[in-house]
Amino acid sequence: MKTIVLKVEDIHKSYGKQEVLKGIFFELKRGETKVIAGPSGAGKSTLLRCINLLTKPDKGRVWLENIELTDPEVDINKLRAKIGFVFQHFNLFMHLTAIENVMLGPIRVLKLSKDEARKRAEEALLRVHITEDLWNKYPAQLSGGQQQRVAIARALAMNPVVILYDEPTSALDPELVGEVLQVMKELASQKVTSLVVTHEIGFAVSVADELMFMYGGKIIEKGIPREVVYSPRNEATKRFFANIAKLYGKQGT
Amino acid sequence: MYVGFWPDFLSRLPYGIMVTLEILTITIPVSIGYGIILGSARVYGNAWIRLFATGLVVTFRGFPLVVTLFLLFYGLPEVGVKLSPFWTAVTAFILCSGAYQSEYVRGAIRSLEVGQIEAARAIGMTKTQELFYVVLPQAIPRALPGISNEIIYQIKYSSLAYLVGVNEIFGITQSVVSIYFRPLEAFMTAAAIYLIMTTAAHFGFKGLERHVSIPGLQIEIR
Repeated sequence: MKTIVLKVEDIHKSYGKQEVLKGIFFELKRGETKVIAGPSGAGKSTLLRCINLLTKPDKGRVWLENIELTDPEVDINKLRAKIGFVFQHFNLFMHLTAIENVMLGPIRVLKLSKDEARKRAEEALLRVHITEDLWNKYPAQLSGGQQQRVAIARALAMNPVVILYDEPTSALDPELVGEVLQVMKELASQKVTSLVVTHEIGFAVSVADELMFMYGGKIIEKGIPREVVYSPRNEATKRFFANIAKLYGKQGT
Repeated sequence: MYVGFWPDFLSRLPYGIMVTLEILTITIPVSIGYGIILGSARVYGNAWIRLFATGLVVTFRGFPLVVTLFLLFYGLPEVGVKLSPFWTAVTAFILCSGAYQSEYVRGAIRSLEVGQIEAARAIGMTKTQELFYVVLPQAIPRALPGISNEIIYQIKYSSLAYLVGVNEIFGITQSVVSIYFRPLEAFMTAAAIYLIMTTAAHFGFKGLERHVSIPGLQIEIR
């Protein structure tokens, strides 16, 4: 039995009168990769942000390795340090070089020595195939794909319990999507626990243990990715994947 | 004793320049630091700190500098605080200039993309760490053009110190003019000295801006 590392229970979130999340439940076991898909406005990003409390859920609870994150008594910074978060727009620290971006968390948050942090950063950067010639470049000097891989390394260097990816390839030029997906695939196969919001159905089908389909603030269908994509039971799910297939053809899978 | 305009002026001027430079070597760094603290406090402070910092800004940006000077010099002794002319000037310049500078800092903090701040929080940084390691290192360079403006004002407005009896460049010029009645030469000389100082500050800040610029982020002009 693999242990459950992330548990989300009955998450609700509203913006004004608009209810964005209407009760979300799921679990993630150690080493698993799960994908969340769904149309724009379904609440996918909000859900991800509710997990590390970048957005405060109105109701519901989140556990990370049996510690309740949503408990107001808990030191949220300590827990966030254990949750990697990869943003759609990379959000690298623009005043720091690639390697400094990766070292900042280990030095300031984990209080590692500079040498230890550097070693960790180098390992993390090599894992995402950022070679030494790029380590001292500033984010603005890197391509989108390189920036996103540095952002993944920044998450990895914290030795997180789980990494949350929020549409990590949506802001990339098409020819750069592959290198980021490749890294994510490798990490998944190395059993880095991951929760991925993405429209990359090919990634979901070939890598994920489960695909959760969100619609109107709820997970309306979930299961083995191939089954959810190719023989969805729900009407909304069917429509969504039909549209995606029309857009990308079948080569995506 | 009548020794002639130029010999008298030129022999007393170095002292005035020294005093002006003494004032500025204190007020420039301290007002910048104070401005950064005030500006940060207005964004990152809790409700009370924000209110207090805002109060300081509104007050000392709202008072004419001369009024602040006179309040400190003539008003404070009535409540038992007596400052020398020199320290009166220094305090007034810092309070006034820092209030202005804090607004440049606050604007620069506000101009940062929220994404980087979220990224700092996502790796578990506290608000203080986020401010010191992510926000200020980027906000201060962005505030520099505004800050340099304030510093140039400060160099020029240091001449107001003569109003509370500080014998700086302008004070000495005034007293020499009142003896010899040669206002054109005297004020031209003072103006030239201020111009040299402000020009030096201009180039100093330009160099500093270049020094702290982030590679890859600047628009190529040529």
